[in-house]
Amino acid sequence: MSAQATQPTRESVSENLLAFLERRIKSAVAPDVDLFEAGMVSSLFALELVVHVEKAFGVTIGGPDLRLDNFRTVEAMTALVLRLSEAPGA
Amino acid sequence: MPDQATADPAAAPENTGPENTAPENTAPENPAPGNSAPGFAAPDFADQEIAAVEIVGVRTVDLAPEPAWPGADAADLAGLVTELIGDQAGAWDLDGHIPREIVRELGRAGVLCAQAPAAHGGLGLSNVDAGELTAHVGALCSSTRSLMTSQGMAAWTVERFGDDAQRAEYLGRLTAGETAGVAFSEPGAGSDLSGMATRIETEGDSVVVTGQKVWVTGAAYADLLVVFGRVGEGAGAVLVPTDAPGVTVTRVPDPLGCRAAGHADVLLDGVRLPADHVLAGAGLPLEWLVTSALTYGRLSVAWGCVGILRGCLAETTRHARTRQQFGRPLADHQLVARHLAELHVAERAATALCAEAARGRDAGGPEHVSAAVTAKHFAAGAAVRGAASAVQVLASAGARDGHPVARAHRDAKLMEIIEGSTEIGQLLLADHALAVWS
Repeated sequence: MSAQATQPTRESVSENLLAFLERRIKSAVAPDVDLFEAGMVSSLFALELVVHVEKAFGVTIGGPDLRLDNFRTVEAMTALVLRLSEAPGA
Repeated sequence: MPDQATADPAAAPENTGPENTAPENTAPENPAPGNSAPGFAAPDFADQEIAAVEIVGVRTVDLAPEPAWPGADAADLAGLVTELIGDQAGAWDLDGHIPREIVRELGRAGVLCAQAPAAHGGLGLSNVDAGELTAHVGALCSSTRSLMTSQGMAAWTVERFGDDAQRAEYLGRLTAGETAGVAFSEPGAGSDLSGMATRIETEGDSVVVTGQKVWVTGAAYADLLVVFGRVGEGAGAVLVPTDAPGVTVTRVPDPLGCRAAGHADVLLDGVRLPADHVLAGAGLPLEWLVTSALTYGRLSVAWGCVGILRGCLAETTRHARTRQQFGRPLADHQLVARHLAELHVAERAATALCAEAARGRDAGGPEHVSAAVTAKHFAAGAAVRGAASAVQVLASAGARDGHPVARAHRDAKLMEIIEGSTEIGQLLLADHALAVWS
């Protein structure tokens, strides 16, 4: 799904993640909300989230980037994706 | 909730481990012929149910199973496994040991962690192909299959969380004959991982590991253990050589099943190692790390259960055709025939769920995470029911320790405990159902 071929933009990444979350959480999520503090993410879903980010944007999240802080919010995940795909605006 | 990591505290085999045995099936009935295990290669579940039925019958009779994965290498692997295990699985189970040279040989052949990338000396099999190989081994010997689950999970953890240097070193070793176990469970941390107390503490350029792990599958054979524990406020995993000072490995005496899988308790008494033994990706919460490793383990165990069911099908169909009572073969008695039908359906359904999860994993999609829990949950229950009915069909012929169906019965029960107990799996699946359907 998404933007594998073209360079992702902040908007496209954020939109994709918000849609993925809304589909699973069944309600809209703000980009800056701490998903884990809010109790929205079980450990199983957390893993799905990591896998989704890798698959949807064609990035590999290696050891040092596998940190909770990179997944807390849609904003943090977006920044991670942009950095890993070296997109403009990252 | 924590993920289920292990199973229940008390009984919790570690999850990684104990697993089952597959009925050997090879044995009695079939002399272990050279290639692929007799009877257990997965019938290619495509669309022909009827063909599948026939295949099962054929296999039992002529023992000419063909591996369902493509490629000569894979067929060779199945043949190698069949040859190495031969008709020894029952004896290993009774004895509680697999000969070291067999374990080394399987390790050197890459079978124990078949998905490890070729760049690091591995076979690089897809999850689908590795799954079929796992079922093949599981049909022959669940103790050996348990070692595959553990080694595969260790290799996957290194690949996923390690850095380049760690991947090169440790995957190289794990594909060259060394063996590894994965240590999750502790006396106070079974299903509830939040009780995990093992500490991984950095001191200068060293790391010190302190804690107590229980039911570590394969630990009695292992050169290396992947030990999960706490790192500051977070969690991490560290590679601990079993010969390091401070490591004490004590076999679990007389496990219920998978008796030759080398389950052991491991005491880590201030084990000091170079800091680069800590896997690099240690910044995730404990539950994430463990869920990630367990997702591999669950799918592997699920395939092992498919193997148990195939072994039971081979045993029961052979016996039902040849044993006569009331003047006709058992298979002609409808209440016996029903057991065969249910075993067949269980094997097909478990295989389909495993294949779906494996394909999802190969495709890299997030669905494979819950699919692995689904497959493991179903396959373990099906293996328990299937093995119990196999003992029922064989009756006195199978009701002695060392018989393939008796072994399957014991081994299958552990499958409902390891890699997350049935109850933990149900909690996860209920959450998933609510998320997807409500």
